[in-house]
Amino acid sequence: MVNLEEIKKEAKNILEEGKVKYIIGYAKSSNALMAAPTFVKKPEDIDKLIWDPTCFQNLVKFLLDEKRKKAREKEPDIRPVGIFVKGCDSRAINVLLQEKFITREDVYIIGLSCEDLGVLDEKKIFKKLKGEEPEKIEFDQRKNIVISTKEKTIKIPLKEILAERCLECTSSFPVISDVFWGDRNNRSPKEPFKSLEQIESLSQEKKWDFWQQQLSKCIRCYACRSVCPMCYCDECVVDSINLAITADTTAEEKSQKIKWIEKSPESSENFGYHLVRAMHLAGRCIDCSECERVCPVDIPLRLLNKKLEKVAKELFDYKAGLDPEQPSLVSSFKDEDPEDFIR
Amino acid sequence: MKKRTGVFVCHCGINIAGTVDVKNVAEELMKHSDVTHSEDYVYMCSDPGQKLIENSIKEHNLDSVVVACCSPNLHETTFRNCAKAGGINEFQCEIANIREQCSWVHKDKLKATEKAIKITRSTVEHVVKNKSLEPISIPVTRRGLVIGGGIAGIQAALDMANSGYEVILVEKSPSIGGHMIQLSETFPTLDCSQCILTPKMVDVSKHPKIKLLTYSEVQEITGYVGNFKAKILKKPTYVDPDKCTLCDKCVDVCPIVVPNEFDIGLTGRKAIYIPFPQAIPATYTLDIVNCPGLLPIACGKCIDVCEPGAIDYDMKPEIIEEEIGSIVLATGYDLYDKENMKEYGYGKYADVLDGLQFERLLSASGPTMGEVLRPSDHKVPKEVVFIQCVGSRDPELHCAYCSKICCMYTAKHAMLYKHHVPDGQAYIFYIDIRSGGKDYEEFVQRAKEEDGVVYLRGKVSKIFEENGKITVWGADTLAGKDIEINADMVVLATAMRPTKGAEEFAKKLKVSLDKDGFLSEAHPKLRPVESVTSGLFFAGAAQAPKDIPEAVAQASGAAAKAIIILSQDHLFHSPIVAEVSLNLCTGCGMCVDVCPYDALSLKDNKAEVNEVLCEGCGTCSATCLRAAIEVKNITPGQIYEMIDASVGG
Repeated sequence: MVNLEEIKKEAKNILEEGKVKYIIGYAKSSNALMAAPTFVKKPEDIDKLIWDPTCFQNLVKFLLDEKRKKAREKEPDIRPVGIFVKGCDSRAINVLLQEKFITREDVYIIGLSCEDLGVLDEKKIFKKLKGEEPEKIEFDQRKNIVISTKEKTIKIPLKEILAERCLECTSSFPVISDVFWGDRNNRSPKEPFKSLEQIESLSQEKKWDFWQQQLSKCIRCYACRSVCPMCYCDECVVDSINLAITADTTAEEKSQKIKWIEKSPESSENFGYHLVRAMHLAGRCIDCSECERVCPVDIPLRLLNKKLEKVAKELFDYKAGLDPEQPSLVSSFKDEDPEDFIR
Repeated sequence: MKKRTGVFVCHCGINIAGTVDVKNVAEELMKHSDVTHSEDYVYMCSDPGQKLIENSIKEHNLDSVVVACCSPNLHETTFRNCAKAGGINEFQCEIANIREQCSWVHKDKLKATEKAIKITRSTVEHVVKNKSLEPISIPVTRRGLVIGGGIAGIQAALDMANSGYEVILVEKSPSIGGHMIQLSETFPTLDCSQCILTPKMVDVSKHPKIKLLTYSEVQEITGYVGNFKAKILKKPTYVDPDKCTLCDKCVDVCPIVVPNEFDIGLTGRKAIYIPFPQAIPATYTLDIVNCPGLLPIACGKCIDVCEPGAIDYDMKPEIIEEEIGSIVLATGYDLYDKENMKEYGYGKYADVLDGLQFERLLSASGPTMGEVLRPSDHKVPKEVVFIQCVGSRDPELHCAYCSKICCMYTAKHAMLYKHHVPDGQAYIFYIDIRSGGKDYEEFVQRAKEEDGVVYLRGKVSKIFEENGKITVWGADTLAGKDIEINADMVVLATAMRPTKGAEEFAKKLKVSLDKDGFLSEAHPKLRPVESVTSGLFFAGAAQAPKDIPEAVAQASGAAAKAIIILSQDHLFHSPIVAEVSLNLCTGCGMCVDVCPYDALSLKDNKAEVNEVLCEGCGTCSATCLRAAIEVKNITPGQIYEMIDASVGG
């Protein structure tokens, strides 16, 4: 069992000892269903920290900002940043380590196992509440969630409102950590790719229609990219808006920037954006599902990434983020790989 | 800034002009804002054609050239030289392939013309963003390496050494000679194989320019053309050849007997042995795998009996590092494994032999001193069945290819058998006879007519032993009947396979193999002895099944190619190489992993290109998620413009 008091004690210790600069964790927010990311810098603030199924955000994204901040500072504080990670989040750290974007010394990983549970899916709860605003929630014995609204109090079994990814999760504990709470039991869900079942059963035409309809909704707000811990490029290849201009960018380079995709949110351009993004996440996406969660127009983006995850698993027995030393999916090949032409 | 591009459209006789309206292509291209001059000509690669380009560059003050013609594989160099002669940078010339990729594959002239215009226009978009580049110069280590000491390797080493270059010849077994030294007589002239090979072996051993490393294996090759580094493992033989007097006493006392590789198991040898009397180097090898142990307590008989004290149990494996400029691979062949040929009883019945074993039976130096005797009871076989295409030409179960030499050596075997046993009968089962080659067909006819060898066209279905005979069931498809022969001996012409371990070795050297595991040449017709990796050449049966004359010819060809490199002070490398945009590179290292040429590395958290190793394949550019690496003169920007020109209007 994960004991919050013990975590707080450890957090306090490392802050007092100056082992870490600060700790990125979770705190209560104004939204009862969602914990807010919080940055604890002083030992006296550690009581803000919480740990429960509302902690669904992937905090690893903040490590990217930390790296950029450090790069700007003349005399940066090189101490590591403490960070709360769940199983999925820990794999994101591994991918960043694998891609050498951060080093192991940059982070002090406070690993928290989801054990037999997981995190909430807000959207599933909203559906159950039928439009009512949740005011207070409580957890009952790790079995149920008790939600109070203005009108009533309802009790829902947790299994019904857990995030899809948690239902399909195979390793609910951090695979890399400095300190660790909870158990390390592997899960073996019967159908780790169940969410793909329905879309895979469709004909090619129907699939096309489905994605045509979904992606035409996209307003290209780039929230999916902004929340993704793997989207750390200074300049996104598919989006010419944010051209990275540095002191040594020449005029010629600026003029030669290619507009692979137009800015306008038309469905052809949206396809280009989302498919390139999906391909760039192949073998890197660790299924934190943050992209889908933040999408303001409810595009089921997780399906795209999950499909690639499945292909990687089935064809190459590859799972992203298991080990920082593993070769990346797209830049490695094995002799046993099924396509002969690779040799 | 606008470029002044010249477009030159070639008719290639009617090869292009028959399907593409070349005049129309030239006219349409003139409309492009970067094109200053455009014209067509019947054979652009002809001397007047080249002159035309050269003069136009000067006359119209062109700064870049597009030649719309055949594949750049063929005439890119021609036209780049032509551009250079005209006074512009050679890398300001690009080829639009309107033959292989257009006229040859289309019929409709209107549509083909439209496509040729698009191809040429997209090449103009390519060239207008080209930068002027200079070839990269690299110094050359003027020493060669030959891997494999069979006839091909021996010939290549001798040719290179006789041209005045130092050569290192590496052979994995204790002596050079390869399979040729095992053969009895060679077709079609029936001269003794050992007699013609041993002089060459002696030449190798005495040649001042050849450093011979036997019982050695190349472990690693790094570097690049002109500047390879080889790591060679020299295994200990535990015998000092300088002290050894070849008295043979060690062999007499050695208590261990194992099958003799040289006689393919027909005889035994000791754990300390000399492979064959004419072995080069002439010395013993202590086979550590079979020796009871290098401790006097375990055995130590050989060391006790060795008067000159040549045996040294403390000899250690040695790693030899050599720098070389070019490499000839001559790793040879092995016969198809007998495990695969169970239906023919090979490995099960003592009197079912493979071709090499039969060579040993025929050989004057063989286990029977040249008498043909059955291994089972040492009687003279009176009826012998030879079976061709054993494992070859059988895509369903075995090897799809033809092993090429079996028709000839089987005819030779039958002929030699008849010479040894004139009252015996030789039968040959064949699918068809392939006897292309000088004097080859005549040789086969001689076997039939003069030596009375019975040729049966058909396959053998089953072989089994019965009452001391080997019963062969087969079909004679010409007579249309089943055949049963109660033979005394069966000889299988088993397929040729690349030498064992060739696959591992190819991986180490990063040379590609074809579907059958033979070394894959750069071009099947025009670059048959070259690998795609420059500086690496092929000789002999490692590339494909071949007979001796072919192996020797190819070895000399490979040697000549290797010498081309060794004879130069500097080599020039194409400047079409990858380039890193440091401000975009995040140092993830994917390009490093994916580079097939090991040309990339990480330095200060950024990718760095070794321009000499880079072949400009663009795999890195395709892999980079951040578009931080691109190949010079074929950048994503250029590709984007080319796609635009190809698909637009």
